[in-house]
Amino acid sequence: MTITCNQIDDLLFDGSPLAMETAARHAAECDACAQTLAAWNELSDTAQSMRTTWDNDTLWPRIERAIRAEKKRSPSRWLRHAAAAVLIIVGLGAPLFYMLRVQTREAAFDRTIIRVSALDEVERAEHDYTRAIGKLEKLTEPKLEDAESPLMISYKEKLMLLDDAIAECEANIDQNRQNAHLRKQLLAMYSEKQQTLQDVLREDSDVSNP
Amino acid sequence: MPTDDMLQAAMTTVLHPVPASSGSEDRRIAAACAAGDAQIFEDIYRRFGDRMKSIAWNHLGNVSDAEDAVQETFLKIHRSASTYTGEASFSTWIFRILVNTCYDVLRKRKRRIDEAPIEDMVETAERTAPSVDEAKRMTLRKLLNELPEQRRSVFTLFEIEGLSHAEIGEILGITEGNSKWILFATKKDLQTKWKK
Repeated sequence: MTITCNQIDDLLFDGSPLAMETAARHAAECDACAQTLAAWNELSDTAQSMRTTWDNDTLWPRIERAIRAEKKRSPSRWLRHAAAAVLIIVGLGAPLFYMLRVQTREAAFDRTIIRVSALDEVERAEHDYTRAIGKLEKLTEPKLEDAESPLMISYKEKLMLLDDAIAECEANIDQNRQNAHLRKQLLAMYSEKQQTLQDVLREDSDVSNP
Repeated sequence: MPTDDMLQAAMTTVLHPVPASSGSEDRRIAAACAAGDAQIFEDIYRRFGDRMKSIAWNHLGNVSDAEDAVQETFLKIHRSASTYTGEASFSTWIFRILVNTCYDVLRKRKRRIDEAPIEDMVETAERTAPSVDEAKRMTLRKLLNELPEQRRSVFTLFEIEGLSHAEIGEILGITEGNSKWILFATKKDLQTKWKK
């Protein structure tokens, strides 16, 4: 292959044995390129002679000691893994714990709100019952005091029993206002008392208007 | 510590090419290094120590710094062997650590020189007249010292250590083509100065 001086750089860039052989063939006929190629090769030859090594019997023991010392200084792999695991657990666990705590608090707060709100409703119902019962008692009081018929006496006894039961239930509720069972029981007793008082009034009307 | 004569005698030592090893073998070696297996480090030293010393010496220019760099490289291998992924061969990975260690030394040295008084920087005159070959080596060493890090490394690894452009690319984190181009540009530059 014939080449021109302009192509010598391309061959030197290529650097392959074939390219260098082609460059050498051209340089054999071109003084300028011969000088370029000689300087190029001289650089490579000089560089190759700069490969070096030396024996130093103390180097490896020195390196070995340094590695051993570092191994002693650094925590074991197991410890590093354990430390990393703890960090990950703490890193991920803390926000998770915080979130759960917030959620639990919020849930507890919600539950409290619901409970308080339900309690208010129950207490309002109780209040309505006591007000209604109070009115009915005023109306039935004279009749019950003068009760002579067995039915009216029976109503009177029933109402006395209901009052005792209500008083006991209210005493228990004072100790635990949020006891739903007692509240239900009290409402049922109020309802029963109201119904009984209404029956007394009705009975009285029936007696008055045969 | 080797004397100048020992060093001179060793100058002509031909270093054998680095034998290739399989990926799984490389990963096994890396795992053993991470575990601090003393025997594996000794094997690595026996296998790559000469070339490591040569690379370090040709970057740093003196035996003491070169040996320190080799030692530091072994410590870095121990510390980071667990991060070896097997993308490059283990020998390439070692040489990459070594070259970076040499860069660190050169930077520290540059800082020291920048801070040192000018008289301290004046090199001592050669006591004996060097041979023609030694004179050429000294000239080339001086020219290499003036090169930027990457150019110097490409030239050293290719021309002095006989590594391929593919290996150099992996060591320096550049493409094979770029390594080839840097070598050409560096040699053209050196050639101009060489003629002077």
